[in-house]
Amino acid sequence: MIGRISARWAQAELTLAAALAVSVTGLILLNVITRSVGAALFWVDELAIYAMAWMTFLGASAALHYGHAVAVTILTDALPSPLQRIAARAVDLIALGFALFMLWFCWRWFAPLDLARHGFDTKAFQGATFNFIYAEPTTTLGIRKFWVWLVMWAFALGATLHSLANLLEPTPRDRTTQP
Amino acid sequence: MTPLIFAFKLLIAVPVALVLALTAIWYIWESGNTVLYDSYAQKMFSGLENYGLLAIPLFMLTGEMMNEGGMTRRLINAARVFVGGFRGGLAYINLLANMFMAAIIGSATAQIAVMARAMTPEMEKEGYDTGFAAATTAAGGLLAPVIPPSMMFVIYGVLAQIPIGEMFLAGILPGLLLAAAFAGVIVAVGIVQGFPKGEWFTGPQALSALLWCLPAALIPLAIIGGILFGIATPTESAAIASLIAFLIGWLVYGELKPAALFEMFRRTAVNASMIIFMIAAANVFGWVIIYEALPQKLAALITSITSDPFLFLLIVNVILLFVGMLIDGIAAVILIAPILLPIAMNDYDISPYQFGVVMCLNLVLGLLTPPVGVGLYIASSMSGVSPGRILKSLWPFLLAVAVILVLLSRYPWFSTAFV
Repeated sequence: MIGRISARWAQAELTLAAALAVSVTGLILLNVITRSVGAALFWVDELAIYAMAWMTFLGASAALHYGHAVAVTILTDALPSPLQRIAARAVDLIALGFALFMLWFCWRWFAPLDLARHGFDTKAFQGATFNFIYAEPTTTLGIRKFWVWLVMWAFALGATLHSLANLLEPTPRDRTTQP
Repeated sequence: MTPLIFAFKLLIAVPVALVLALTAIWYIWESGNTVLYDSYAQKMFSGLENYGLLAIPLFMLTGEMMNEGGMTRRLINAARVFVGGFRGGLAYINLLANMFMAAIIGSATAQIAVMARAMTPEMEKEGYDTGFAAATTAAGGLLAPVIPPSMMFVIYGVLAQIPIGEMFLAGILPGLLLAAAFAGVIVAVGIVQGFPKGEWFTGPQALSALLWCLPAALIPLAIIGGILFGIATPTESAAIASLIAFLIGWLVYGELKPAALFEMFRRTAVNASMIIFMIAAANVFGWVIIYEALPQKLAALITSITSDPFLFLLIVNVILLFVGMLIDGIAAVILIAPILLPIAMNDYDISPYQFGVVMCLNLVLGLLTPPVGVGLYIASSMSGVSPGRILKSLWPFLLAVAVILVLLSRYPWFSTAFV
């Protein structure tokens, strides 16, 4: 069950990441065109960078499902297969640990409970916690930056889902590495 | 303790990006400075807020478009016009086509994959030793990360905080030097083993081969010209290159189908996010390095051995050779640059451009050496020649790279002439 959800989710993440790759390309080309006709758009660079960051974190989460990652396999390749399975399980466990840490970091950073306690009044929240996450502006886009940072939640949740699904699989899938 | 955990995780094949991120988490825990956890996720994100990094997906996309668009075959044909008639013509064609490709593609493994499939069977057919054919192709792939554009240089430039355009220019002379050295190796092997005769194209054939290749030649012109004359940033020229590659593959060669575009973007997203995520993780890892004062400790150790920059670079070369044997090139750059670059710049006054060229060429050499020679295995699987057989013919090329590395370490001028 969780394996199927993980597969579906990874698919959705990659589709979105691909769409973001399209927009990165489109935005940079737009930049070239507008600059060459002397009407450069000042917000394009920042938006392109955020699109790339979103693409990266969505892709990195999906990578946990598909096993796309650069890793040093020199030792594990030489191990007999029972030990190999143990090592693969250990890697799954470590990945899950990392994902849970990321969730915790996002929780500490966005502090949703504290925010709710202050009635979603960001000024009161800041005054009480000295956490200025909700005040930080983007440089050129005219929105608050926490909207952009929300991708870290998507990453943390996706990574937790995929690594949990990997761990619960009866036999570890072959997750060989190929850069 | 931290280094032990670090090594253990690397060795049981935890993805490099996770190793970096987890080591940072571990260190913060150990130091008791847990308030840093509040900004951990932000720090990770901010590692990506760099305009230069945008070039990575774009160069990958260009490579995808080239592969699908039938450009490789035309480039090989064009190379035939210039060197096809010499004795051992195909070997030189292989080298020259690799140079063309290197000016378009920025990744050694991608280039080896394409060229091994295209060139090795052809050389075999004309009577070359299969091991030599595959070895020449694999060695030619080493030109990709040195001749601009280069993905490795983009990443190094971002880590070293130097302009990526300038870093690209630093690679031009070393790239030509490397190509010349490879040509020398081919000549020498030819004298020892004897090569099959080559054949020149007839006039009209040559003309048509050149004409067909002409549109493809626009890509390196757009990339290098744009950067050299300051018209476009490396990121922009990468975007233009991918657009040109698409238009040529679709409209001129008629081999690229717009319907296949989304799949190419998907592969680009997969491959680019894998590498860029490592950079995000390296950004938090950078904390650990700074707090542990690792470069300073290492610097104290190395400066007590030598104060000569050349000798220092030689030591670095030996270290990198071992690192490159174990860890994939780009991951190794991300791991090593933050540690060694400050020492090179502050204690030995070495130009970051020279250091970058030496470091990247050295680490990419690891792609062709066992036990973790990704490039070697790709060349082997694409050409059907066993890795051992390739290695037997590869060592003169590897030796040539080693000589070039010593030259580049001794004379900074090669790397800094254009910068």
